[in-house]
Amino acid sequence: MLFQRKNRAHVTINSSTLLAAALNPLVIARGLTLTVPSDAGPVNILRGVDFSLNQGEAVGLVGPSGSGKTSLLMLLAGLERATSGSVSIAGTEITKLGEDALARFRRRQIGIVFQAFHLIPTMTALENVAVPMELAGDADAMDRAREALASVGLGHRLTHLPGQLSGGEQQRTALARAYAPRPRLLLADEPTGNLDQATGQMVIELMFEQQRSFGTTLLLITHDPAIAERCDRKCQMADGLLS
Amino acid sequence: MKLAFRYAWRELRGGGIASLYQFRIVLACLALGVAAIALVGTLRASLTRGIAEQSAALLGGDLAIDGNAEPFPMALRQMLAQHGAQVSELVRMSSLIAAPNGERTLINLKAVDRLYPLKGAVRLSPAMSLSAALAGHGLVAEQIVLDRLRLTRGDIVKIGDASFHLSAALLSQPDATANLGLFGPTVLISSDDLAATHLVQPGALIDRSLRVSLPRGVPATTIAALIQQNFADQGYRVRTSNDDAPGVDRTIDQVSQFLTLVGLASLLVGGIGVAVGVEAWLAARARSIAILRCLGASAELIMAVYLLQCLALAGLGILAGLVVGGVVPWLAGDWLASLLPVPAHFGIYPEPLSLAAFYGVMTTLVFALAPLGRATALSGADLFRDATLPARAPPRSVLVLIIGLLVLVLVFVAVRTSGQSGLALGFAGGAAVTLLLFRLAGGALAGLAARLPRPRSIALRLGLAALHRPGADTRLMLTALGLGLTSLAAIVCTEANLRAIIASQIPAAAPSFYFIDIQPDQVDQFQTILARFSSVRDVTIVPNLRARIVAVDGIPAARFADNPQAGWAVRGDRGLTYAALPPNGTQLLQGSWWPADYDGKPLLSLDQGLAQGLGVGVGDVITVNVLGREIGLTIASTRRIEWRSLSMNYAMVASPGMLEGAPHSNIATLRSDASQDGAILRAVADALPNVTGIHVADILAAVAALVRKLATALAATGAIGLVSGGLVLAGAIAAGQQRRAREAVILKTLGATTGQIRLAFLVEFGAIGVVGGVLAAAIGSAASFAVVHRVMGEDWRATPEPLLATLAVSIAVTLAFGLLSTRGALSAPPAAFLRNE
Repeated sequence: MLFQRKNRAHVTINSSTLLAAALNPLVIARGLTLTVPSDAGPVNILRGVDFSLNQGEAVGLVGPSGSGKTSLLMLLAGLERATSGSVSIAGTEITKLGEDALARFRRRQIGIVFQAFHLIPTMTALENVAVPMELAGDADAMDRAREALASVGLGHRLTHLPGQLSGGEQQRTALARAYAPRPRLLLADEPTGNLDQATGQMVIELMFEQQRSFGTTLLLITHDPAIAERCDRKCQMADGLLS
Repeated sequence: MKLAFRYAWRELRGGGIASLYQFRIVLACLALGVAAIALVGTLRASLTRGIAEQSAALLGGDLAIDGNAEPFPMALRQMLAQHGAQVSELVRMSSLIAAPNGERTLINLKAVDRLYPLKGAVRLSPAMSLSAALAGHGLVAEQIVLDRLRLTRGDIVKIGDASFHLSAALLSQPDATANLGLFGPTVLISSDDLAATHLVQPGALIDRSLRVSLPRGVPATTIAALIQQNFADQGYRVRTSNDDAPGVDRTIDQVSQFLTLVGLASLLVGGIGVAVGVEAWLAARARSIAILRCLGASAELIMAVYLLQCLALAGLGILAGLVVGGVVPWLAGDWLASLLPVPAHFGIYPEPLSLAAFYGVMTTLVFALAPLGRATALSGADLFRDATLPARAPPRSVLVLIIGLLVLVLVFVAVRTSGQSGLALGFAGGAAVTLLLFRLAGGALAGLAARLPRPRSIALRLGLAALHRPGADTRLMLTALGLGLTSLAAIVCTEANLRAIIASQIPAAAPSFYFIDIQPDQVDQFQTILARFSSVRDVTIVPNLRARIVAVDGIPAARFADNPQAGWAVRGDRGLTYAALPPNGTQLLQGSWWPADYDGKPLLSLDQGLAQGLGVGVGDVITVNVLGREIGLTIASTRRIEWRSLSMNYAMVASPGMLEGAPHSNIATLRSDASQDGAILRAVADALPNVTGIHVADILAAVAALVRKLATALAATGAIGLVSGGLVLAGAIAAGQQRRAREAVILKTLGATTGQIRLAFLVEFGAIGVVGGVLAAAIGSAASFAVVHRVMGEDWRATPEPLLATLAVSIAVTLAFGLLSTRGALSAPPAAFLRNE
């Protein structure tokens, strides 16, 4: 058991649950395009992507650099606005939400792990993990953050600033931050890209372990075929389109 | 060194405009400080040269002899004629001018002869000669008279009993620098027309003076010495064109010294901006420095390469400051000349510009060396880690020594060039203590924020945390606010105290009117007129004689001319009255008042301050000259006089008897309701044209206007410091802006709304604004207390409004910066930060 939460039942997802959930997509993206202006004329980054993620499913997104993987992730996270098309997550069409509504939606529904960790450098590890739960108004945010850090093996690093942590520790902190609010969707953008192989392996193990424990839907961008193979499904992206 | 120049040049060339942009705060801080110092120095040099060139014109002659109401003796005129001098006489007095519609205003009347002015020129609008303007009962008046009485050229106006036609507006005249306009604008008439006004009466408050033009080869100082020697008992004030200028010069020197210090203070605040800017600029070059170190560059070479770049870039800011401060006065010379009461010769003066450049270079060095020292602590290995400027590096003793020496040189030059070492040191010390206090307050605020219980609101918590987290800008932002805001607080607090002193002390006791030059045979008529007005009360009429102190216990009065307490009384004529009974409210400090029916030798009751200045007491004899006759007055008592009350009072009150027979006029004071003031003035002036009514409220309004002008000038000066502080604040915020933007993006990603992020930023900036405002108000109040109580000797009172205004300005400034910063942070595109680096 990774998370010892008060008043919250621990959930274990088995394959039959996954099968049932497969009939009920959590994420549905339709006709997504993303075009950005440039000096040399408009650049079409995404050129009409139709995509869905079923509840509890782990999907590996692979493809060459510049194929549009991160852009798709940004659109699914509501961090970037699509030029056209729609994204619906858990029945909410996020492409119609405003900035603040999107922020509130992310607090509960979406966790994100970046290659560059993106911890707030002036906050301790504990404070970094607590932020999304504090933003959601959870009174026990600190306790849960402490548990989350302990669950990724960082119970002894609570008061350290990101600059005082190694790359692997920083990414584990970011993972704890992403999972602690129990999001329904976890988006991970090359989470091992900045880590050595052994550390990367440890982070990936933790990620899948927690995904399975909580039945979280996972979209994982990776260049590592072995990691992609561990997912329930693998999607290939090339030149702004899913194949 | 050659290598250092080569690398420095390469980096500058490579950096191009981007380097200048990164250096913008440094450039702006240096430009502002240097411009302020260069501007003050250039104005000072321009005025000094202008005055030196036109000193004779300023005086109206080579020599000026200021006398009293008595005509100058023939012997004096003969002596001047023997030396080939040309002499022009002018008579000055306060009077009223009446418009055709009966409206009147107080004027400074100047009756001049045909030779006036001997030096310099009178400028009129429309342009014409003065003699043509004054011919045929003509008159010229300053434009303000025309505006007040709605007069146009050709209108017939009355002064005393005489009528004049208005010929032209008076634009400028020689010898006008001392007239502050408190007792009315100047009106010129011909001395041929003076008699017809009937203003020259026995005992009237008039001043005569001579302007003398000497032939070549006759030194003015020789003639001045002759006059002092042969007419010592007349108490004349003799000025030459050489010694008139030093008085003005001294004022200019004092004002410019003060302003130079203000400029220096703004440069000091700007210096913090230099440190912040240089640090940010070096941080952007940390990778290049690490690469150079990796390739074998020594710490000394790194220091040389980046110091050279620093100086080259700072040179542009200093140059910009010199252009603004040195060239603008030259370009805007005509406009500036129209604002100044004395002539100025605008040009480019290398000396003040060199001094300003020196201050700029020294400030750059003092404040840039510390961050440069930290840059040299970067090593080649940093290239493989985060190549960032170390937040703290152990200070190298050589660098500390150099910075210390530079500071000493800077202070030494500032003190030497200020002319007033005490003021300069006090100012520098005050500025340093203020900055230190703000820095300490920044630490205290950060400490308090860290120890406060965790608030429930995340926005509040994030805002408070931003105050104490590692890398927080709390100290820097508070220090940036410090000096400018404190000087502003001190100025507004002092001004509020001055206003309060004027408002609370003067009007309560002040009469509504002074009426001067009432002849003895007019007193009954004057009282009859007043009786017609129901609101007239507290009428006091006292005899007024003009007397000149010629000796104090047998010692010539001229010996006391430079005495700070008594000099004013022995220079020229003073008012003298006599009374059987002590005036109301008299406080005798020594001796006793004479009996009401006293008829013995002349006695005197003297102002205590004057008695102290002259070193006399009861029983000593003051010899005065009244209308050419010397009278010995034995001091019977000394009194405390509250001059500020504006009640009628005399430094010298004599016993009746001998003086009663002397020709004299009377002065009256009275109180009335403001609604009847205009009618009273008209009634008295219509019936007694030679009597001049001075409306005290108008004088107080003129004083208040002067105080306002002074306060505005001081506030503008204080604003320079505030602008410098604002620049530094902007620099500090800009330096942390990327961090703020990154944090805002991450917080948004984690679910923070824009409102929460904005609130967190506002809590951080608001806390700094509140603490900055409170501290500035406190230190500003202390400075104001020192000025009002210690320097001016007045009671100081806490004035909440200006202090609240300071607090409001502080909060407004920081919140404005905070909102701008927040807008910038919130508008940062998330993808730019979050994409894999």
